[in-house]
Amino acid sequence: MPMSFAVGLAVALISALAAKVGADESKPVAVTATNAVSPAATAPAKTKPAEPKKLTGAELYSIHCNRCHPERYPTERTAAQWKTIMLHMQVRAGIPGKQSKLILQYLQENSGR
Amino acid sequence: MKKNLKASRCIFGLVAAGCALGITFPQTAGAVVSDEDFNALKSLVQQMNGKLQSLEQTNRVDQQVIQQLQQKLAETQRTAVEAQQNSIATAQAQSAPRVPLDEATVNHNFQILGDAEIQYNKTDHQNGAFLLADFAPIFLYRGGENILFEAGFDFGLQNNAPNGGGYTTTLNLSFAQLDYVISDYLTLCAGNLVLPLGTYSERTAGWLNIFPDNPLAVDLVPGTGVGAELRGAVPLGNNGSLLNYSIYGVNGPGSADGTGNAGALDLGGNVGITSGGNNSNTHGHLVGGGRVAFFTPFKPHYDLELGLSAQTGEWDDAGKHLWSAGVLDASFHLGPNFEAKGEYIISRFGSDDLGQIQQQGWFAQAGYKLAGLNLNVPFLNNLELVGRYDSMRDGMGTSTHRYTAGYIYYLTSALLFEGDYEFIHSSDPNQPSSQFILQMSYGF
Repeated sequence: MPMSFAVGLAVALISALAAKVGADESKPVAVTATNAVSPAATAPAKTKPAEPKKLTGAELYSIHCNRCHPERYPTERTAAQWKTIMLHMQVRAGIPGKQSKLILQYLQENSGR
Repeated sequence: MKKNLKASRCIFGLVAAGCALGITFPQTAGAVVSDEDFNALKSLVQQMNGKLQSLEQTNRVDQQVIQQLQQKLAETQRTAVEAQQNSIATAQAQSAPRVPLDEATVNHNFQILGDAEIQYNKTDHQNGAFLLADFAPIFLYRGGENILFEAGFDFGLQNNAPNGGGYTTTLNLSFAQLDYVISDYLTLCAGNLVLPLGTYSERTAGWLNIFPDNPLAVDLVPGTGVGAELRGAVPLGNNGSLLNYSIYGVNGPGSADGTGNAGALDLGGNVGITSGGNNSNTHGHLVGGGRVAFFTPFKPHYDLELGLSAQTGEWDDAGKHLWSAGVLDASFHLGPNFEAKGEYIISRFGSDDLGQIQQQGWFAQAGYKLAGLNLNVPFLNNLELVGRYDSMRDGMGTSTHRYTAGYIYYLTSALLFEGDYEFIHSSDPNQPSSQFILQMSYGF
Protein backbone atom coordinates (compact mmCIF):
# COMPACT_ATOMS: atom_id res chain seq x y z
CA MET A 1 0.00 0.00 0.00
CA PRO A 2 2.73 2.56 0.83
CA MET A 3 4.35 1.77 -2.52
CA SER A 4 1.09 2.33 -4.38
CA PHE A 5 0.57 5.59 -2.54
CA ALA A 6 4.09 6.74 -3.34
CA VAL A 7 3.70 5.87 -7.01
CA GLY A 8 0.36 7.69 -7.17
CA LEU A 9 1.80 10.75 -5.47
CA ALA A 10 4.78 10.82 -7.78
CA VAL A 11 2.55 10.48 -10.85
CA ALA A 12 0.43 13.39 -9.66
CA LEU A 13 3.49 15.55 -9.03
CA ILE A 14 4.99 14.80 -12.42
CA SER A 15 1.70 15.51 -14.17
CA ALA A 16 1.38 18.83 -12.35
CA LEU A 17 4.97 19.73 -13.18
CA ALA A 18 4.49 18.88 -16.84
CA ALA A 19 1.30 20.92 -17.02
CA LYS A 20 2.98 23.91 -15.32
CA VAL A 21 5.96 23.84 -17.64
CA GLY A 22 3.62 23.66 -20.61
CA ALA A 23 1.68 26.64 -19.29
CA ASP A 24 4.88 28.60 -18.69
CA GLU A 25 6.18 27.94 -22.18
CA SER A 26 2.92 29.09 -23.68
CA LYS A 27 3.46 32.59 -22.25
CA PRO A 28 6.80 33.75 -23.67
CA VAL A 29 5.45 37.22 -24.50
CA ALA A 30 4.56 37.95 -20.90
CA VAL A 31 8.04 37.01 -19.76
CA THR A 32 9.62 39.29 -22.36
CA ALA A 33 7.39 42.16 -21.33
CA THR A 34 8.42 41.75 -17.71
CA ASN A 35 12.05 41.90 -18.71
CA ALA A 36 11.46 44.96 -20.84
CA VAL A 37 10.32 47.12 -17.91
CA SER A 38 13.03 45.99 -15.54
CA PRO A 39 15.52 48.68 -14.43
CA ALA A 40 18.35 47.03 -16.25
CA ALA A 41 16.44 46.98 -19.47
CA THR A 42 15.37 50.64 -19.26
CA ALA A 43 18.78 52.03 -18.31
CA PRO A 44 19.75 54.43 -21.12
CA ALA A 45 23.44 53.58 -21.04
CA LYS A 46 22.85 49.92 -21.71
CA THR A 47 21.54 48.32 -24.83
CA LYS A 48 18.69 45.86 -24.66
CA PRO A 49 20.12 42.37 -24.13
CA ALA A 50 19.88 40.19 -27.18
CA GLU A 51 17.37 37.41 -26.98
CA PRO A 52 19.04 34.05 -26.53
CA LYS A 53 19.46 32.28 -29.83
CA LYS A 54 17.09 29.37 -30.27
CA LEU A 55 18.52 26.12 -31.52
CA THR A 56 17.59 25.11 -35.04
CA GLY A 57 16.34 21.69 -36.06
CA ALA A 58 19.72 20.91 -37.63
CA GLU A 59 21.53 21.82 -34.41
CA LEU A 60 19.16 19.76 -32.30
CA TYR A 61 19.61 16.89 -34.74
CA SER A 62 23.37 17.08 -34.18
CA ILE A 63 22.93 17.35 -30.43
CA HIS A 64 20.56 14.44 -29.90
CA CYS A 65 21.09 11.84 -32.62
CA ASN A 66 24.81 11.41 -32.10
CA ARG A 67 24.27 10.61 -28.43
CA CYS A 68 23.39 7.00 -29.21
CA HIS A 69 24.31 6.18 -32.79
CA PRO A 70 26.03 7.45 -35.92
CA GLU A 71 23.93 10.17 -37.50
CA ARG A 72 21.68 8.96 -40.28
CA TYR A 73 21.27 10.97 -43.44
CA PRO A 74 17.89 12.70 -43.82
CA THR A 75 17.69 11.30 -47.35
CA GLU A 76 17.62 7.73 -46.01
CA ARG A 77 13.91 8.01 -45.20
CA THR A 78 10.79 9.61 -46.52
CA ALA A 79 8.96 12.40 -44.75
CA ALA A 80 6.31 10.01 -43.39
CA GLN A 81 8.93 7.57 -42.19
CA TRP A 82 10.81 10.29 -40.34
CA LYS A 83 7.59 11.32 -38.63
CA THR A 84 7.16 7.83 -37.22
CA ILE A 85 10.82 7.43 -36.35
CA MET A 86 10.96 10.77 -34.56
CA LEU A 87 7.94 9.84 -32.46
CA HIS A 88 9.85 6.70 -31.51
CA MET A 89 12.99 8.70 -30.73
CA GLN A 90 11.08 11.31 -28.75
CA VAL A 91 9.93 8.57 -26.40
CA ARG A 92 13.03 6.41 -26.39
CA ALA A 93 15.72 9.09 -26.19
CA GLY A 94 13.74 11.47 -24.00
CA ILE A 95 13.53 14.45 -26.37
CA PRO A 96 11.04 17.22 -25.51
CA GLY A 97 8.16 17.48 -27.95
CA LYS A 98 9.04 20.90 -29.35
CA GLN A 99 12.65 19.92 -29.96
CA SER A 100 11.50 16.69 -31.56
CA LYS A 101 9.24 18.65 -33.93
CA LEU A 102 12.13 20.93 -34.96
CA ILE A 103 14.33 17.93 -35.69
CA LEU A 104 11.48 16.35 -37.64
CA GLN A 105 11.04 19.50 -39.68
CA TYR A 106 14.73 19.49 -40.56
CA LEU A 107 14.64 15.82 -41.51
CA GLN A 108 11.50 16.16 -43.60
CA GLU A 109 12.76 19.20 -45.45
CA ASN A 110 15.85 17.24 -46.41
CA SER A 111 14.22 13.81 -46.70
CA GLY A 112 14.44 11.42 -49.61
CA ARG A 113 10.93 12.28 -50.79
CA MET B 1 -42.67 4.41 -96.54
CA LYS B 2 -43.57 7.81 -98.02
CA LYS B 3 -44.87 6.13 -101.21
CA ASN B 4 -47.28 4.07 -99.21
CA LEU B 5 -48.53 7.17 -97.47
CA LYS B 6 -49.06 8.92 -100.80
CA ALA B 7 -50.97 5.97 -102.25
CA SER B 8 -53.11 5.81 -99.21
CA ARG B 9 -54.00 9.47 -99.52
CA CYS B 10 -54.91 9.06 -103.23
CA ILE B 11 -57.17 6.17 -102.48
CA PHE B 12 -58.85 8.07 -99.72
CA GLY B 13 -59.30 10.89 -102.15
CA LEU B 14 -60.92 8.73 -104.77
CA VAL B 15 -63.25 7.08 -102.31
CA ALA B 16 -64.22 10.41 -100.89
CA ALA B 17 -64.82 11.80 -104.37
CA GLY B 18 -66.99 8.80 -105.24
CA CYS B 19 -69.04 9.23 -102.13
CA ALA B 20 -69.43 12.88 -102.80
CA LEU B 21 -70.61 12.17 -106.34
CA GLY B 22 -73.09 9.62 -105.10
CA ILE B 23 -74.56 12.05 -102.65
CA THR B 24 -74.44 15.05 -104.85
CA PHE B 25 -75.97 13.63 -108.08
CA PRO B 26 -79.77 13.46 -108.15
CA GLN B 27 -81.67 10.18 -108.09
CA THR B 28 -82.53 10.64 -111.61
CA ALA B 29 -78.93 10.31 -112.54
CA GLY B 30 -78.93 6.80 -110.97
CA ALA B 31 -81.58 5.77 -113.35
CA VAL B 32 -79.22 6.06 -116.26
CA VAL B 33 -76.57 3.78 -114.66
CA SER B 34 -76.91 0.23 -115.73
CA ASP B 35 -76.66 -2.72 -113.38
CA GLU B 36 -73.53 -3.78 -115.12
CA ASP B 37 -71.88 -0.46 -114.55
CA PHE B 38 -73.14 -0.39 -111.03
CA ASN B 39 -71.71 -3.81 -110.32
CA ALA B 40 -68.45 -2.89 -112.01
CA LEU B 41 -68.27 0.23 -109.89
CA LYS B 42 -69.20 -1.74 -106.80
CA SER B 43 -66.52 -4.26 -107.56
CA LEU B 44 -64.04 -1.46 -108.04
CA VAL B 45 -65.03 0.10 -104.74
CA GLN B 46 -64.67 -3.24 -103.00
CA GLN B 47 -61.25 -3.77 -104.53
CA MET B 48 -60.22 -0.33 -103.44
CA ASN B 49 -61.59 -0.99 -99.99
CA GLY B 50 -59.48 -4.17 -99.81
CA LYS B 51 -56.44 -2.29 -100.94
CA LEU B 52 -57.23 0.40 -98.41
CA GLN B 53 -57.40 -2.12 -95.61
CA SER B 54 -54.16 -3.71 -96.81
CA LEU B 55 -52.48 -0.34 -96.89
CA GLU B 56 -53.80 0.53 -93.44
CA GLN B 57 -52.34 -2.76 -92.16
CA THR B 58 -49.06 -1.99 -93.81
CA ASN B 59 -49.17 1.46 -92.38
CA ARG B 60 -49.65 0.13 -88.83
CA VAL B 61 -46.70 -2.22 -89.24
CA ASP B 62 -44.65 0.64 -90.64
CA GLN B 63 -45.60 2.80 -87.67
CA GLN B 64 -44.42 0.12 -85.28
CA VAL B 65 -41.16 -0.23 -87.18
CA ILE B 66 -40.75 3.53 -87.07
CA GLN B 67 -41.29 3.58 -83.32
CA GLN B 68 -38.78 0.80 -82.79
CA LEU B 69 -36.25 2.56 -84.95
CA GLN B 70 -36.82 5.80 -83.09
CA GLN B 71 -36.25 4.01 -79.77
CA LYS B 72 -33.06 2.46 -81.08
CA LEU B 73 -31.95 5.82 -82.36
CA ALA B 74 -32.58 7.41 -78.97
CA GLU B 75 -30.62 4.65 -77.25
CA THR B 76 -27.79 5.02 -79.71
CA GLN B 77 -27.73 8.76 -79.13
CA ARG B 78 -27.65 8.26 -75.35
CA THR B 79 -24.80 5.79 -75.66
CA ALA B 80 -22.95 8.19 -77.92
CA VAL B 81 -23.41 11.05 -75.45
CA GLU B 82 -22.24 8.91 -72.54
CA ALA B 83 -19.26 7.70 -74.49
CA GLN B 84 -18.40 11.25 -75.36
CA GLN B 85 -18.70 12.36 -71.73
CA ASN B 86 -16.55 9.47 -70.57
CA SER B 87 -14.02 10.26 -73.20
CA ILE B 88 -13.89 13.89 -72.12
CA ALA B 89 -13.57 12.93 -68.45
CA THR B 90 -10.80 10.47 -69.21
CA ALA B 91 -8.98 12.98 -71.31
CA GLN B 92 -9.25 15.57 -68.55
CA ALA B 93 -7.98 13.11 -65.94
CA GLN B 94 -5.05 12.18 -68.11
CA SER B 95 -4.12 15.68 -68.96
CA ALA B 96 -4.39 17.02 -65.36
CA PRO B 97 -1.06 17.06 -63.47
CA ARG B 98 -0.75 14.27 -60.83
CA VAL B 99 -1.15 15.71 -57.38
CA PRO B 100 1.85 14.49 -55.39
CA LEU B 101 1.03 12.68 -52.17
CA ASP B 102 2.32 14.66 -49.25
CA GLU B 103 3.58 11.77 -47.16
CA ALA B 104 4.12 13.99 -44.18
CA THR B 105 0.37 14.30 -43.84
CA VAL B 106 -0.28 10.57 -43.78
CA ASN B 107 -2.01 9.79 -40.51
CA HIS B 108 -0.89 6.21 -40.11
CA ASN B 109 2.47 4.79 -40.92
CA PHE B 110 4.19 1.45 -40.48
CA GLN B 111 7.93 1.35 -40.19
CA ILE B 112 10.62 -1.19 -39.45
CA LEU B 113 13.88 -0.38 -37.73
CA GLY B 114 16.33 -2.73 -36.13
CA ASP B 115 19.60 -4.49 -36.60
CA ALA B 116 21.16 -7.75 -37.64
CA GLU B 117 24.42 -9.33 -36.56
CA ILE B 118 26.60 -12.24 -37.41
CA GLN B 119 29.39 -13.08 -35.01
CA TYR B 120 32.52 -15.21 -35.01
CA ASN B 121 33.79 -16.19 -31.59
CA LYS B 122 36.99 -17.83 -30.42
CA THR B 123 37.09 -18.59 -26.73
CA ASP B 124 40.18 -20.13 -25.18
CA HIS B 125 40.07 -23.92 -24.90
CA GLN B 126 37.21 -23.99 -27.38
CA ASN B 127 37.05 -24.16 -31.15
CA GLY B 128 36.39 -20.98 -33.02
CA ALA B 129 32.95 -20.81 -34.60
CA PHE B 130 30.39 -18.57 -36.13
CA LEU B 131 28.46 -18.15 -32.95
CA LEU B 132 25.64 -15.81 -33.61
CA ALA B 133 23.21 -15.03 -36.39
CA ASP B 134 20.78 -12.54 -35.01
CA PHE B 135 17.99 -10.51 -36.54
CA ALA B 136 16.32 -7.96 -34.31
CA PRO B 137 13.61 -5.94 -36.04
CA ILE B 138 11.65 -3.21 -34.32
CA PHE B 139 8.16 -2.66 -35.69
CA LEU B 140 6.75 0.83 -35.35
CA TYR B 141 3.15 1.68 -36.05
CA ARG B 142 2.15 5.32 -35.73
CA GLY B 143 -1.51 6.14 -35.39
CA GLY B 144 -2.00 9.86 -35.78
CA GLU B 145 0.13 12.50 -34.15
CA ASN B 146 0.68 11.09 -30.70
CA ILE B 147 0.16 7.33 -30.63
CA LEU B 148 2.91 4.87 -31.35
CA PHE B 149 3.02 1.12 -30.96
CA GLU B 150 6.48 -0.36 -30.96
CA ALA B 151 7.58 -3.95 -30.62
CA GLY B 152 11.03 -5.46 -30.82
CA PHE B 153 11.79 -9.05 -31.72
CA ASP B 154 14.93 -11.07 -31.61
CA PHE B 155 15.38 -14.00 -33.97
CA GLY B 156 18.33 -16.23 -33.17
CA LEU B 157 19.69 -19.71 -33.58
CA GLN B 158 20.18 -22.16 -30.72
CA ASN B 159 22.24 -25.29 -31.25
CA ASN B 160 20.50 -28.40 -29.90
CA ALA B 161 23.69 -30.33 -29.06
CA PRO B 162 24.52 -32.24 -26.95
CA ASN B 163 20.95 -33.33 -26.32
CA GLY B 164 19.83 -33.39 -29.95
CA GLY B 165 20.72 -32.67 -33.52
CA GLY B 166 20.32 -29.59 -35.63
CA TYR B 167 19.35 -26.25 -34.24
CA THR B 168 16.31 -24.38 -33.07
CA THR B 169 15.26 -20.97 -34.23
CA THR B 170 14.48 -18.85 -31.22
CA LEU B 171 12.11 -15.92 -31.29
CA ASN B 172 11.98 -13.55 -28.37
CA LEU B 173 9.63 -10.63 -27.93
CA SER B 174 12.13 -8.14 -26.61
CA PHE B 175 9.55 -5.50 -25.84
CA ALA B 176 6.09 -4.41 -26.94
CA GLN B 177 4.66 -1.14 -25.75
CA LEU B 178 2.05 1.42 -26.59
CA ASP B 179 3.17 5.04 -26.29
CA TYR B 180 0.67 7.84 -25.92
CA VAL B 181 2.22 11.30 -26.08
CA ILE B 182 0.06 13.32 -23.73
CA SER B 183 1.98 16.57 -24.12
CA ASP B 184 5.40 17.80 -25.20
CA TYR B 185 6.66 16.84 -21.76
CA LEU B 186 4.72 13.75 -20.80
CA THR B 187 4.21 10.34 -22.41
CA LEU B 188 2.29 7.37 -21.11
CA CYS B 189 3.74 3.98 -22.01
CA ALA B 190 2.18 0.60 -21.31
CA GLY B 191 3.05 -2.97 -22.16
CA ASN B 192 6.26 -4.90 -22.00
CA LEU B 193 8.43 -1.87 -21.33
CA VAL B 194 12.11 -1.32 -21.84
CA LEU B 195 13.03 -0.29 -18.32
CA PRO B 196 15.03 2.89 -17.78
CA LEU B 197 17.39 1.33 -15.26
CA GLY B 198 20.42 3.10 -16.60
CA THR B 199 20.44 3.77 -20.33
CA TYR B 200 21.99 0.58 -21.63
CA SER B 201 18.77 -1.34 -22.39
CA GLU B 202 17.15 1.66 -23.99
CA ARG B 203 19.95 3.27 -25.94
CA THR B 204 23.05 1.14 -26.08
CA ALA B 205 22.08 -2.46 -26.74
CA GLY B 206 22.41 -4.23 -30.08
CA TRP B 207 23.69 -2.23 -33.02
CA LEU B 208 23.97 0.87 -30.85
CA ASN B 209 26.59 -0.85 -28.73
CA ILE B 210 30.17 -0.21 -29.78
CA PHE B 211 31.05 -3.71 -28.51
CA PRO B 212 29.71 -7.05 -29.73
CA ASP B 213 28.65 -8.18 -26.27
CA ASN B 214 26.97 -6.67 -23.24
CA PRO B 215 28.75 -5.39 -20.16
CA LEU B 216 28.66 -7.98 -17.39
CA ALA B 217 26.88 -5.74 -14.90
CA VAL B 218 23.76 -5.17 -16.99
CA ASP B 219 22.71 -8.71 -16.08
CA LEU B 220 22.12 -7.46 -12.54
CA VAL B 221 18.98 -5.55 -13.55
CA PRO B 222 16.03 -6.56 -15.73
CA GLY B 223 15.95 -5.08 -19.23
CA THR B 224 12.17 -5.12 -19.48
CA GLY B 225 9.11 -5.32 -17.30
CA VAL B 226 5.36 -5.57 -17.88
CA GLY B 227 3.46 -2.55 -16.63
CA ALA B 228 2.91 1.14 -17.20
CA GLU B 229 5.17 4.15 -17.23
CA LEU B 230 5.03 7.92 -17.31
CA ARG B 231 8.05 9.56 -18.83
CA GLY B 232 9.14 12.73 -20.51
CA ALA B 233 11.64 15.50 -20.87
CA VAL B 234 11.54 19.09 -19.69
CA PRO B 235 13.78 21.64 -21.46
CA LEU B 236 15.99 23.77 -19.24
CA GLY B 237 16.96 27.02 -20.90
CA ASN B 238 17.57 27.55 -24.59
CA ASN B 239 20.82 25.68 -25.11
CA GLY B 240 19.22 22.25 -25.38
CA SER B 241 19.69 21.25 -21.75
CA LEU B 242 16.90 19.13 -20.39
CA LEU B 243 15.67 17.09 -17.50
CA ASN B 244 14.59 13.54 -18.25
CA TYR B 245 12.31 11.66 -15.93
CA SER B 246 10.37 8.44 -15.81
CA ILE B 247 8.34 6.62 -13.21
CA TYR B 248 6.83 3.20 -13.64
CA GLY B 249 5.06 0.29 -12.00
CA VAL B 250 5.67 -3.25 -13.27
CA ASN B 251 5.23 -6.83 -12.14
CA GLY B 252 8.87 -6.85 -11.19
CA PRO B 253 11.13 -9.78 -10.49
CA GLY B 254 9.62 -13.08 -9.38
CA SER B 255 10.60 -16.45 -8.09
CA ALA B 256 11.32 -19.18 -10.63
CA ASP B 257 10.21 -21.96 -8.30
CA GLY B 258 8.02 -20.13 -5.81
CA THR B 259 10.59 -20.20 -3.02
CA GLY B 260 12.56 -17.37 -1.55
CA ASN B 261 15.93 -19.03 -2.17
CA ALA B 262 18.54 -16.82 -3.76
CA GLY B 263 18.95 -19.04 -6.79
CA ALA B 264 15.25 -18.72 -7.60
CA LEU B 265 15.42 -14.97 -8.27
CA ASP B 266 14.01 -14.42 -11.76
CA LEU B 267 14.53 -10.87 -12.98
CA GLY B 268 12.78 -11.21 -16.31
CA GLY B 269 10.22 -13.99 -16.02
CA ASN B 270 7.41 -12.22 -14.23
CA VAL B 271 5.18 -12.04 -17.31
CA GLY B 272 1.68 -13.30 -18.13
CA ILE B 273 0.29 -16.57 -16.80
CA THR B 274 2.44 -19.16 -15.09
CA SER B 275 2.46 -22.80 -16.14
CA GLY B 276 0.29 -23.44 -13.09
CA GLY B 277 -2.42 -21.16 -14.45
CA ASN B 278 -1.82 -18.35 -11.97
CA ASN B 279 -0.98 -14.74 -12.57
CA SER B 280 2.76 -14.50 -12.78
CA ASN B 281 2.90 -11.81 -10.13
CA THR B 282 2.51 -14.27 -7.30
CA HIS B 283 4.11 -12.04 -4.70
CA GLY B 284 1.00 -9.91 -4.68
CA HIS B 285 2.38 -6.42 -5.16
CA LEU B 286 3.63 -4.44 -8.09
CA VAL B 287 7.05 -2.90 -7.87
CA GLY B 288 7.96 0.69 -8.64
CA GLY B 289 10.92 2.44 -10.17
CA GLY B 290 12.05 5.47 -12.06
CA ARG B 291 14.88 7.52 -13.44
CA VAL B 292 15.85 11.14 -13.39
CA ALA B 293 18.64 12.54 -15.54
CA PHE B 294 20.21 15.83 -16.51
CA PHE B 295 21.51 16.37 -20.04
CA THR B 296 23.37 19.42 -21.20
CA PRO B 297 25.04 20.09 -24.55
CA PHE B 298 27.89 22.59 -24.62
CA LYS B 299 27.50 22.74 -28.38
CA PRO B 300 26.52 20.16 -30.99
CA HIS B 301 28.42 16.90 -30.40
CA TYR B 302 29.71 18.11 -27.05
CA ASP B 303 27.49 17.03 -24.18
CA LEU B 304 27.19 15.44 -20.78
CA GLU B 305 24.41 13.33 -19.32
CA LEU B 306 24.11 12.12 -15.75
CA GLY B 307 21.30 9.86 -14.61
CA LEU B 308 20.12 8.10 -11.49
CA SER B 309 17.58 5.29 -11.54
CA ALA B 310 16.19 2.78 -9.08
CA GLN B 311 13.60 0.05 -8.64
CA THR B 312 12.34 -1.71 -5.55
CA GLY B 313 9.65 -4.24 -4.62
CA GLU B 314 8.91 -7.75 -3.46
CA TRP B 315 10.19 -10.67 -5.46
CA ASP B 316 9.40 -13.96 -3.67
CA ASP B 317 5.94 -15.55 -3.58
CA ALA B 318 5.60 -15.11 0.16
CA GLY B 319 6.33 -11.42 -0.20
CA LYS B 320 8.91 -11.54 2.54
CA HIS B 321 11.87 -10.28 0.56
CA LEU B 322 12.57 -7.12 -1.39
CA TRP B 323 14.65 -6.83 -4.50
CA SER B 324 16.07 -3.34 -4.97
CA ALA B 325 18.51 -1.87 -7.44
CA GLY B 326 20.08 1.48 -8.17
CA VAL B 327 21.96 2.61 -11.26
CA LEU B 328 24.15 5.64 -11.78
CA ASP B 329 24.78 6.32 -15.46
CA ALA B 330 26.90 8.87 -17.27
CA SER B 331 27.78 9.62 -20.87
CA PHE B 332 30.08 12.20 -22.33
CA HIS B 333 30.73 13.34 -25.89
CA LEU B 334 33.72 15.46 -26.75
CA GLY B 335 33.20 16.26 -30.39
CA PRO B 336 31.84 13.96 -33.06
CA ASN B 337 34.74 11.55 -32.64
CA PHE B 338 34.95 10.80 -28.95
CA GLU B 339 32.45 9.33 -26.56
CA ALA B 340 32.61 7.77 -23.13
CA LYS B 341 29.87 5.99 -21.22
CA GLY B 342 29.58 4.15 -18.00
CA GLU B 343 27.18 2.78 -15.41
CA TYR B 344 27.47 1.73 -11.84
CA ILE B 345 24.86 -0.83 -10.80
CA ILE B 346 24.07 -2.11 -7.37
CA SER B 347 21.30 -4.47 -6.35
CA ARG B 348 20.28 -6.03 -3.07
CA PHE B 349 17.74 -8.71 -2.26
CA GLY B 350 16.77 -10.88 0.66
CA SER B 351 16.61 -14.66 0.47
CA ASP B 352 15.57 -17.61 2.64
CA ASP B 353 18.80 -19.53 2.29
CA LEU B 354 21.54 -16.94 1.97
CA GLY B 355 20.06 -13.97 3.74
CA GLN B 356 20.73 -10.51 2.39
CA ILE B 357 22.66 -10.55 -0.89
CA GLN B 358 24.31 -7.52 -2.41
CA GLN B 359 25.44 -7.50 -6.01
CA GLN B 360 27.29 -4.79 -7.82
CA GLY B 361 29.12 -4.08 -10.99
CA TRP B 362 30.09 -1.30 -13.31
CA PHE B 363 31.48 -0.60 -16.71
CA ALA B 364 33.22 2.25 -18.41
CA GLN B 365 33.76 2.35 -22.14
CA ALA B 366 35.15 4.81 -24.63
CA GLY B 367 35.52 5.08 -28.37
CA TYR B 368 37.54 7.38 -30.58
CA LYS B 369 37.03 7.76 -34.31
CA LEU B 370 40.37 8.27 -36.04
CA ALA B 371 38.75 10.69 -38.44
CA GLY B 372 39.38 13.18 -35.66
CA LEU B 373 43.11 13.03 -36.38
CA ASN B 374 42.49 14.59 -39.82
CA LEU B 375 45.05 12.28 -41.40
CA ASN B 376 43.06 12.20 -44.60
CA VAL B 377 43.64 8.47 -45.00
CA PRO B 378 40.37 6.87 -46.09
CA PHE B 379 40.97 3.62 -44.23
CA LEU B 380 41.78 5.36 -40.97
CA ASN B 381 38.94 7.82 -41.35
CA ASN B 382 36.52 4.88 -41.16
CA LEU B 383 38.10 3.34 -38.08
CA GLU B 384 37.11 3.75 -34.45
CA LEU B 385 39.16 2.37 -31.60
CA VAL B 386 37.23 1.21 -28.54
CA GLY B 387 38.07 0.11 -25.03
CA ARG B 388 36.05 -1.08 -22.07
CA TYR B 389 36.49 -2.19 -18.51
CA ASP B 390 33.68 -3.97 -16.72
CA SER B 391 33.29 -5.99 -13.60
CA MET B 392 30.63 -7.75 -11.59
CA ARG B 393 30.27 -9.33 -8.17
CA ASP B 394 27.23 -11.57 -7.85
CA GLY B 395 27.17 -11.47 -4.04
CA MET B 396 27.40 -15.24 -3.83
CA GLY B 397 31.11 -15.63 -4.16
CA THR B 398 31.84 -14.97 -7.82
CA SER B 399 33.74 -11.95 -8.98
CA THR B 400 34.64 -11.20 -12.60
CA HIS B 401 36.70 -8.46 -14.20
CA ARG B 402 37.10 -7.98 -17.91
CA TYR B 403 39.22 -5.76 -20.13
CA THR B 404 38.20 -5.33 -23.74
CA ALA B 405 40.04 -3.64 -26.58
CA GLY B 406 38.83 -3.50 -30.13
CA TYR B 407 37.89 -1.57 -33.23
CA ILE B 408 34.95 -0.70 -35.41
CA TYR B 409 35.41 -0.29 -39.12
CA TYR B 410 32.54 1.68 -40.62
CA LEU B 411 31.88 0.22 -44.05
CA THR B 412 29.00 2.68 -44.10
CA SER B 413 27.44 4.66 -41.28
CA ALA B 414 25.10 1.70 -40.73
CA LEU B 415 27.26 -1.33 -41.64
CA LEU B 416 29.91 -2.05 -39.04
CA PHE B 417 32.71 -4.60 -38.94
CA GLU B 418 33.88 -5.00 -35.35
CA GLY B 419 36.64 -6.92 -33.67
CA ASP B 420 37.38 -7.24 -29.96
CA TYR B 421 39.74 -9.11 -27.71
CA GLU B 422 38.73 -9.68 -24.11
CA PHE B 423 40.87 -10.51 -21.11
CA ILE B 424 38.77 -12.11 -18.42
CA HIS B 425 39.68 -12.61 -14.76
CA SER B 426 37.11 -14.52 -12.79
CA SER B 427 36.90 -16.43 -9.54
CA ASP B 428 34.63 -18.83 -11.40
CA PRO B 429 36.90 -21.54 -12.85
CA ASN B 430 34.41 -22.21 -15.62
CA GLN B 431 34.90 -18.75 -17.06
CA PRO B 432 37.34 -18.46 -19.98
CA SER B 433 40.40 -16.30 -19.57
CA SER B 434 40.20 -14.71 -22.99
CA GLN B 435 37.88 -14.35 -25.90
CA PHE B 436 38.14 -13.03 -29.43
CA ILE B 437 35.05 -11.78 -31.24
CA LEU B 438 34.48 -10.60 -34.79
CA GLN B 439 31.11 -9.18 -35.70
CA MET B 440 29.39 -7.75 -38.72
CA SER B 441 26.38 -5.68 -37.75
CA TYR B 442 23.92 -3.65 -39.71
CA GLY B 443 21.49 -1.13 -38.34
CA PHE B 444 18.44 -0.26 -40.38
